[in-house]
Amino acid sequence: MSIRSATLRFLEPRTTVQAHCDLPCGIYDPEQARIEAESCYRVIEKYAANEDSTFRTRAIAIKEERAELVKHHLDVLWHDYFKPEHLEKVPNLHDLFWQANKQVSKVKASTDLADAKRLLELIDEVDAAWKITGGEAKTRVAGRPS
Amino acid sequence: MVPAIEPGDWLVVNPLASSWPRRGAVVVFHEPISDALAIKRVEAGPGERVRFADGYLTLAPDEAWLVADAPAAATAAAGFGPPIDSTRFGPVSRDRLVGRVLFRYGPLRRFGRIAGAHA
Repeated sequence: MSIRSATLRFLEPRTTVQAHCDLPCGIYDPEQARIEAESCYRVIEKYAANEDSTFRTRAIAIKEERAELVKHHLDVLWHDYFKPEHLEKVPNLHDLFWQANKQVSKVKASTDLADAKRLLELIDEVDAAWKITGGEAKTRVAGRPS
Repeated sequence: MVPAIEPGDWLVVNPLASSWPRRGAVVVFHEPISDALAIKRVEAGPGERVRFADGYLTLAPDEAWLVADAPAAATAAAGFGPPIDSTRFGPVSRDRLVGRVLFRYGPLRRFGRIAGAHA
């Protein structure tokens, strides 16, 4: 090993730090939140139709998990897809996401089908906001990647 | 952190800092949420007020507000989303500070102090 390469090796940093940015995939669709919210709806139906305590415990656990995914998908849309300029077309955007996320919390704590139905309605409103801001055309791959 | 710091730069870091350095200093810290070792610039220190969302936020006695040099428009132009900094993960507490960047020692042609945010 030469003196030069030995010196360089000695001086070379041992630790790497990051100054990273986000790398968004650019694919957004409220359908992801909708499907998880439908799971909550269906789990509540099944919960009501079954008296078995083990089944009911599992149903509650699954509802919690699915509801958390609804929140995640709503947050991704809110933080990453929607931009300040979209507020012109959807002035109530922040309030809509606030309400939708609060409704998810309600669904987590509830076994009332009406709560899950209200969540689906709010997600449909998010879907409408996504559509009028051009989301459908811009944020999905046209056809399947070949 | 381009152009102040380029990918591959070799930096000397003072790990003995016992408090957040002044505004404009570049620091290495453990990023909240991911815990990754990250590098950003101090925009505001303990007790200072920073603009956040539609209002203001006052930093706690052990907190700093750390931001990337690149504005969101520049990262978007490079094909990235917003920088991952305090605007994403909020204030950073003192126990996450690893050290202050003192100077660059490699590559040799770029040896020297770290430039300001928009030099």
